[in-house]
Amino acid sequence: MGLLHASLLNVFSEVKLVALCEKSALMNRLFKRVFSTTDIRIVDDLEKLRGLGLDAVYVTTPISSHSQIVKDLYAEEITRNVFVEKTLALNYNQSKELCEIAKNVGGVTMVGYMKRFSVVFKKAKEMLRQGDLGEPRRFKAYAYSSDFLGLTEESKSSASRGGALSDLGCHVIDLALWMFGRLEVRDVLSFARNEAGSETSVSFMALNSSGLSGQFDISQSMPGYRMPEFGLSIECSKGKIEVNDDRLCLTLDNDSAQRKLYRHDLNDGVYFSIGDPEYFRENREFVDSLLGNRQCELNFDNASIVDYVIDQVRGRTGRQ
Amino acid sequence: MNSASRKTLLVGDNPFHGISHLSQERARNRTGNADSVTEKADVVLTAIKNGADGFMFSVSDVTLPILKNMRERNEVEQVELYAIVPYAYEYVRIATQKGTPGLAKRVAKQIAMSGNVGAVLSGLSAVVQMNPRSLLKTYLTYEVSRIKSSAGRKAKLTSLLLHEVITDMGLALNFDWLFKSYISYLSERDIVPGFNTRNFPYLVRKFKEWNLDLEETVIATQFNKAGFQMNPSREECEKTLSSLSSPIVVAISVLAAGYFKPPQAADYLAGLENLKGVAVGVSTTKQAHDTFALFQERLKNNHARQR
Repeated sequence: MGLLHASLLNVFSEVKLVALCEKSALMNRLFKRVFSTTDIRIVDDLEKLRGLGLDAVYVTTPISSHSQIVKDLYAEEITRNVFVEKTLALNYNQSKELCEIAKNVGGVTMVGYMKRFSVVFKKAKEMLRQGDLGEPRRFKAYAYSSDFLGLTEESKSSASRGGALSDLGCHVIDLALWMFGRLEVRDVLSFARNEAGSETSVSFMALNSSGLSGQFDISQSMPGYRMPEFGLSIECSKGKIEVNDDRLCLTLDNDSAQRKLYRHDLNDGVYFSIGDPEYFRENREFVDSLLGNRQCELNFDNASIVDYVIDQVRGRTGRQ
Repeated sequence: MNSASRKTLLVGDNPFHGISHLSQERARNRTGNADSVTEKADVVLTAIKNGADGFMFSVSDVTLPILKNMRERNEVEQVELYAIVPYAYEYVRIATQKGTPGLAKRVAKQIAMSGNVGAVLSGLSAVVQMNPRSLLKTYLTYEVSRIKSSAGRKAKLTSLLLHEVITDMGLALNFDWLFKSYISYLSERDIVPGFNTRNFPYLVRKFKEWNLDLEETVIATQFNKAGFQMNPSREECEKTLSSLSSPIVVAISVLAAGYFKPPQAADYLAGLENLKGVAVGVSTTKQAHDTFALFQERLKNNHARQR
């Protein structure tokens, strides 16, 4: 993810990529050779970023290291503005601590929940807000991948990525928070974990402050999901929206015809794309917030609520 | 150049991998598709019999057996091969499961076990020196040897294309050395260096800035009426296409992943100036027959009709 963000940032005319920090000796050596024709500095320790006058730092390391790295960035006065790949931290306590420190430092913060920058999810939120569908009554959310399907050996990678909730489910939890507001977990319906102790699949129920109930199904070992897929099915008083990464289906009770909108219909082009266009828009948002000296919607405070929900699920299954 | 030139038609491999960029749900629910290696080879060969010139594919455990099957049927020599490396999906999947070091070990092991002495020796040297140009050459030697060992020495490996994720990261990070090394290595081996990109106008600008000769390359990039995956916009991509001095672009995602029917796609493409060719994926022999007969009619015979 670090190289993806670095690449995208490097095409922004307002951004100058100054340094990359890579602690692995092998990768550090390779990066020094790969970037030798550029003026990008390759360092092997966070401390060596001091004194470079950095406007912002991206943290794209394993989740378990986020908290310490962000604290070090602030403590060493390396930067005031920080982007962290999802999730903000390993648990809500760590996230709360980071929010507090960031508030005192006063910079711009953002967490990489890039699904909010998808044209289809954005359209779904817009339709809910417009009110033609009436009031939301219940929703189902899913996040599936086949990443760990059929793996019998214990995977360190699965553990370092945080398990199904932090690695995959966090995106759809964030989408639900974005659309429906704060959620409280009511029940965990099923839960499976691997030998390394991280979840491979989990299903739970949550309620928002208006009593809207939602069911979440998250699995990293679901057959048929070559690429991870995220989706929501939202029942409202006057119709229904089904939305995933690819398309949005709208059904109104007073009209039997279903309306389908694909990415193709929603002006999905960006100035420069690697992977999905969402990544470009996400980086654009962070850079624009820095330039405009304004907080991102996805700042540490808002993003930490995802960790709050994940902690509630884990708390009900005896793992935190 | 203009739309009257004879266009190269290629069969794409996305349906063989279960890919649909329109909808993953659609990819999962596809039924009646070619499942066995022989059936997939049948699809490719049916397309060839109906006007296709070649096969554009990611080098993977799914496509290499198709080449082998066509070779065993003595049919592969009539197929121009446009191979895309690396097969990014598989590498991302391994990195997800094993981490980046696990991926590096896996690739190194595959190269070591490939039996390609040249690749192994140059690989050892490249690792010791940590020289990215040498690492690139080692990797390309390995991929070319995989293709040749499946398709046979007589197969026509027309072009080797760099996958869009690598191409686009290289463009963004200003890695001109990557493009120069890639072009140099392949040109020396009479393989046309190709680049797969989602940022076609940006690539053209960068190649000009780096004094790279676009005419020596093939560019595979999205062209469809919806502007799907055409960045920054359909208009900019079309404008850049018409500004090129020779046809080097193979249009991909021409059906916008199933959003358009083949006749709609063919109408749009027939109106584009300067295309070298078109790649389109098909799932069944019937689709191969119908689609390529149509594209042959609308695109290849365009020249005769306009006269």
